[in-house]
Amino acid sequence: MTGRPFAWQRSATVEFTGERGGEAPLTWGQRSIWRITRWLEDGDPYFNTPWVLPVPGRPDLDTVLRALGTLVERHESLRTTCRETPDGPVQRIAAGGRLTVEIFDAVDAAPRQAAAELADELAAKGFDYAAEPPLRCAVVTADGRPRALAMALSHLAVDAWALDLLAAEWRRLLAGEELPPPAWQPMDQAAFERSGKGAERGERALRHWRAALERAPAALFDHPPGTPEDPRFVRVGMESAAVAAAARVLAERWTVSTTSVLLTASAVLLTALTGRGTAVMQFIVGNRHDPRLRDMVGTAVQDGLFVLDLPDGTFADAARAGHRQALVTYRHAHYEPYAMMALREETGPADLSAYFNDVRTVPAWPNLPAQAVRDPAALTGRTKTFFVGAWAEVDAKVFFATGPATHTCQLYLLTDTAYLPRSTAYALLRGVETLLVRCLAEDVPLGRVAEICGLAGTLPEEMR
Amino acid sequence: MLRRRLAELVSRASDGDLDVEEIMAASGSLTALGVTSLTYLRLIDAVEEEFGVELDGPAVLDTLDGMAACIADRQAAPR
Repeated sequence: MTGRPFAWQRSATVEFTGERGGEAPLTWGQRSIWRITRWLEDGDPYFNTPWVLPVPGRPDLDTVLRALGTLVERHESLRTTCRETPDGPVQRIAAGGRLTVEIFDAVDAAPRQAAAELADELAAKGFDYAAEPPLRCAVVTADGRPRALAMALSHLAVDAWALDLLAAEWRRLLAGEELPPPAWQPMDQAAFERSGKGAERGERALRHWRAALERAPAALFDHPPGTPEDPRFVRVGMESAAVAAAARVLAERWTVSTTSVLLTASAVLLTALTGRGTAVMQFIVGNRHDPRLRDMVGTAVQDGLFVLDLPDGTFADAARAGHRQALVTYRHAHYEPYAMMALREETGPADLSAYFNDVRTVPAWPNLPAQAVRDPAALTGRTKTFFVGAWAEVDAKVFFATGPATHTCQLYLLTDTAYLPRSTAYALLRGVETLLVRCLAEDVPLGRVAEICGLAGTLPEEMR
Repeated sequence: MLRRRLAELVSRASDGDLDVEEIMAASGSLTALGVTSLTYLRLIDAVEEEFGVELDGPAVLDTLDGMAACIADRQAAPR
């Protein structure tokens, strides 16, 4: 505990008693995470989420601990363990129990900063899914008052949507509000998925995937692999207020969402490199449009499959088609993941290693400066690109993702450098900006995208 | 009738952001009226549930009249 600007004080215990306990099969959302955790070594922290909740309104420690206990009592997901059984993976909900919470004094550190460091520490070790509750917590105090809650949560328990729900409830609980009990829990969802209607929806999603898989190419790129970097997978990023402003204007002009604009731009730029007339990408879907799932703390996110046949015409035509295809994708992203694996075995090789994930939970960058929207092109000079990290092994060749910022568009791109070198990754990110800014002023024919975005000839000699 | 009932479903799917009269009065596409992706998805589920038809995709659903025609068509077809 030395070398840190904050100090451990003591452990506290939070007792909780929920309305019910029980055992049920995992939901499809849980199974899709469970399936991937099986590929990792025990104790791998890859699916842990470090998270910090501020403590507003100067409540005392007891109030804060009680609010935490109430969250755990309300949401079965936060008192659920998961294990493999001969009949498949199951979730076990504890009706009651206790949670140990470490209490720290921020000393000279800013409480939020101390909490962020603590959350990273708590998340550094994988959860023992069968034995350990899916959250670890610490409270950071300053002058004797709790100022922030540091947490690590398992992705089996929460997704980004669930974190937003918890953050909203946290504020209300600390303000002393009484909240109505949650109407739908993962155990209810698991029962629905096994009912006639739920199973039927899953079957329909699989039929969509089957049709798409049967026409997906066996390889994403036709060009030969080159000499990769070491580590091989590189993630780069861009922060561009120009992209945010342009995407917002174009989305309104074309009556589509900003997600559809970015997704289509990514797909179109990818086809500029693959030379294909169809883009096939996995697209991460929140699966929260069902009103019951809207308020459920749990994990519902799954991979969707986005297929876009490029129209003859302009990028505007592509974005409108992309928006329709995105809806088709959203509608077919809720399915039993093990049945999906069997389906993929059956339909043969299909390279689905291009991904897009829009992590934003707030649409259209509300904190973008007003002047940005008046003249997005003027902002391109302020755009930053940067290196994020490198990994030896990733299950993707191309992975576009947004970041959560609300004042600028954060766009990230991970590539397999055997196929797309780092310089091409930067060119693709810049290409998104160039394309969208250009579309503000003129119609951009799809046939000219590679040239306008400077992608022609970006691949090194050995990969052409 | 059917058109009004659909407008009610659209309104409910939008969490009341769009009101029934506004939807009834709109001649253009629902997208132009401000129907978001999330609203669409809820709407399709609600329509399928209520009318017992399966709708293929959002393209046929972009106007109230298009949706009403599609439902009438599917209901008339032998199942």
